[in-house]
Amino acid sequence: MTERISRPYRRLASQMLMVLLAFGLVPLVVMGIAGFAAQLNAVETRTRNVLEAMVKNRRATVELFLEEKRRQLELVAAAAPVSELGKPAVIEMLRDQLRSEHGAIVDLGLIDDTGRHVVYVGPYSLQDLNYSDQPWFEQVMVRGHYESDIFMGFRRFPHMVMAVKKREQGRVWILRATIDTDQLSDLVREGGLESGADVFVLNRAGEYQTRYSAEHRLMERADLPVPPLHSGVRVIDYAKHGAREFVATAWLRNDNWVLVARQRVPGFLALVVSSPIVTIVFVAGLLLVPPLSLFVARRRLSQIRGLERERAELYQSVAQSEKMATIGRMAASIAHEINNPFAIIQEQVGVLTDGLADAGGVPDAELRDRLRKIEAQIQRGRGVTHRLLGFSRRLGPGVEPIDVAEALNETLNFLAKEAEASNIQIVRDYDKDAPLIRSSVAQMQQVFLNLINNAIDAVGRDGEIRLSVRRDGDGVAVAVADNGPGIPAALRDRVFDPFFSTKTGPTHNAGLGLAICRETMLALGGRIEIDSRIERGTRFIVWFPTIPPGETNRLARAHA
Amino acid sequence: MADLRLLLVDDEPDFLEPLCTRLTRRRVACATAASGEEALQALADSRFDCAVVDVKMPGMDGLELLRRIRRDHPGTPVVLLTGHASVEMGVQGMELGAFDYLLKPVDLDELLDVVRRAAEQPREPGLP
Repeated sequence: MTERISRPYRRLASQMLMVLLAFGLVPLVVMGIAGFAAQLNAVETRTRNVLEAMVKNRRATVELFLEEKRRQLELVAAAAPVSELGKPAVIEMLRDQLRSEHGAIVDLGLIDDTGRHVVYVGPYSLQDLNYSDQPWFEQVMVRGHYESDIFMGFRRFPHMVMAVKKREQGRVWILRATIDTDQLSDLVREGGLESGADVFVLNRAGEYQTRYSAEHRLMERADLPVPPLHSGVRVIDYAKHGAREFVATAWLRNDNWVLVARQRVPGFLALVVSSPIVTIVFVAGLLLVPPLSLFVARRRLSQIRGLERERAELYQSVAQSEKMATIGRMAASIAHEINNPFAIIQEQVGVLTDGLADAGGVPDAELRDRLRKIEAQIQRGRGVTHRLLGFSRRLGPGVEPIDVAEALNETLNFLAKEAEASNIQIVRDYDKDAPLIRSSVAQMQQVFLNLINNAIDAVGRDGEIRLSVRRDGDGVAVAVADNGPGIPAALRDRVFDPFFSTKTGPTHNAGLGLAICRETMLALGGRIEIDSRIERGTRFIVWFPTIPPGETNRLARAHA
Repeated sequence: MADLRLLLVDDEPDFLEPLCTRLTRRRVACATAASGEEALQALADSRFDCAVVDVKMPGMDGLELLRRIRRDHPGTPVVLLTGHASVEMGVQGMELGAFDYLLKPVDLDELLDVVRRAAEQPREPGLP
């Protein structure tokens, strides 16, 4: 028999669950979102500040590098007259000196005012090349110095050219050097970067001037739009393909290059990964709230159902005692009405018997015998009415000394006919030493009535019911055993539950009998146990204390 | 010659008459009264060793009669007799001062035994 949950209970349960879930989850989610948002905001602010500081700092580094290189070249140019610089050996010596001191100069050469490479010292064959048609040549002649973008020159290799003008005796010469751009890349990326960050230099065309990672190669176009010219450091929020990043830019070298630092903005997921404890607490909260809500809802529900059940039980038990009381009153009244005519018949017979005795000499044996039979029947009737009166008298809850065996027999009298009709053998096994106990006979007999009734139902036909009364500790144990089919183990613990019943058909009842028995036994300070084996039968054992709880004080006072 | 003088009170003459006959045969003198009023009248007229009173009677019932006898004739013990057994009634009767309480139909020897003991108890017991 599965427990059924009625519709109003189910509705109550789901409402309760909804409220509990809302109370648990809503604050958790709101606080979680607010917390993560605050954290995200803090992380973004910090990222912006870091980028800004980095760009500012690296721009200064790059400017310093270029400045230094130019000054070196200017120093070299000023250091010797053209007569000396025109000698390849001198140029080579100067180049080697520069390289040993600074390491960034690859080659060095002298160009005359016609653009011809007069002297060249370096790994390539640039001797006698003419640069007069190159745009930078013009610039040096006009401005006095020049630094190129990184470009693919004759050497098919990205390099940067730096040139300074030297004026001597009315003629113009140009000292030209090739700068190793790897050093520039190293300078820009110096100190390492946070993950997801990148720093590089672009020219006005948006081509990489430094390299940092495999992602960008020298001279290739960056995947960023070239920012408009601006002073200082600018940080923008750049979104592309759903990914967000901060891009900090600063123009340098007379606005020819722009230093760019980019940093991916940590998304929600990155944040979750970066703060595992907060995340674990949050997720644990999310996971715990539903089962806790369910648990609390179920508990409350079962409490409510328990109360409902108790109320129903109480109602049933009140109704039952009411019924018993009514039956008792009726029985008493009938017994009374029958007792009076019995008394009259008895007295009349008594007079006749007395008269026969007085007649002395020849008493009529047959007449005497018949009168004795009448008397016997009166005694029999008297037995019935007295038993009825005894039963009804004890329907009250009053506590009195009881011979348990007698109370059991009295109850059995009411069921003997029923047992006989089903050919059920009733075996009594009473312990003569069982003590008298103080209890409520009415309640005790109601328990017996229930147990014996159940046994009769369980046995069916041609079975056997064993009743035993024994002294057991400080009380008396009564066992009612049948040899019926037994109760499966799974159901054994539930037989005392209200509304539980294995009976079907016409004898089916509300399933309260054993529940009331248990309540009654508890009220009497006793207990009820079940012992059942499949195919062997079921045995109920009830134990009554010699003195009911709460009586000890009264007894002590009575003895004092 | 009678050992005892009893007053039997019951609203059923068919019960009183044979009972009285049998008691007389056992040398117990008895008078009968069919109601509480008759019983009080009889008690006023003469002295009895014991009164056997049916509890349930129309008009004045046995308990009321018991109360009056205890008040007006404290020297006469009262044995209650009834077809209706209830603890409350028994307790009430005993509290009102009945000597004992018997259930109808009563065995004659049992009745005689109780009545004799009632008559033999010290007169004028200390009343509460």
